[in-house]
Amino acid sequence: MNKVMRTLLRPCKKTTELIDKQMFTPLTLKEKLQLQAHKAICGTCNAYEKQSKLLDALIGKWFAIDSNKKMSTLDEDKKNKIIEAIKKI
Amino acid sequence: MDLIKEDSKSILEQWVNQFSDELYSWAFFKTSSKEVAEDLVQDTFMAAFHKIDSFQGKSQPKTWLFSILNNKVIDYYRLRARTNKKNFSLTENSGYELSDGLFNTYGCWKTNDINAAWDQDQELLDNPEFNSIMENCMDDLPQKWKLAVTSKYLSDKKTETICQELEITASNYWQIVHRSKLLLKKCLELKWV
Repeated sequence: MNKVMRTLLRPCKKTTELIDKQMFTPLTLKEKLQLQAHKAICGTCNAYEKQSKLLDALIGKWFAIDSNKKMSTLDEDKKNKIIEAIKKI
Repeated sequence: MDLIKEDSKSILEQWVNQFSDELYSWAFFKTSSKEVAEDLVQDTFMAAFHKIDSFQGKSQPKTWLFSILNNKVIDYYRLRARTNKKNFSLTENSGYELSDGLFNTYGCWKTNDINAAWDQDQELLDNPEFNSIMENCMDDLPQKWKLAVTSKYLSDKKTETICQELEITASNYWQIVHRSKLLLKKCLELKWV
């Protein structure tokens, strides 16, 4: 029984890995059981799973804002500076 | 002779207006730094001016400019690998250390308190003040990690392509995203009070 418990109950650090891993690749049966067993008794890791999902949304949102701001266009100022620099050569 | 030079200048000016946005967004994707990308675009146009004689209209101006830019990007990474390599891996190492630091030696959370910041989930998505904190926290990530976290939002890139460009393995990839999330969690909990 102890052996089963030791296999099933992994520390929080390992559990958070599984929480994030499952978003990229399907977990093995063993990993799924480990995740379920741990989540049944650990509020902090349950909360982490929610936070991790929220973080995905936050990163996506940040990226959309950031890319609008930084990625698609070069600032007009900078364009003018380049043109000025060419004229000076 | 000066007349030709003036001609080249006006052609270059036209190209800046026409192509600099596309060149810039590519450079930004490659370096994930606004400043570096801006400099590389400027360098590209400077180099284009100096060797405009070698551009004989055999290819499209855009293609030609992109080939110059790609060389500039390679030079940038070469230079950085030579001068800054230690610095760079240290940042990644400290990323691992910092995220390890959320747990004690038994792998348990150091604090079991659930930060109240996470209760306002919908609000966090809409709050402009929060956006700037998010930006700070994203900038704190090791550069490669930041790229890994955001690259899935760049068009429809498959994991494999992302990994190839970042020179990481697939299992390393989700680990990096996982570590980045732990760091973001820590950073947001510290800064969003």
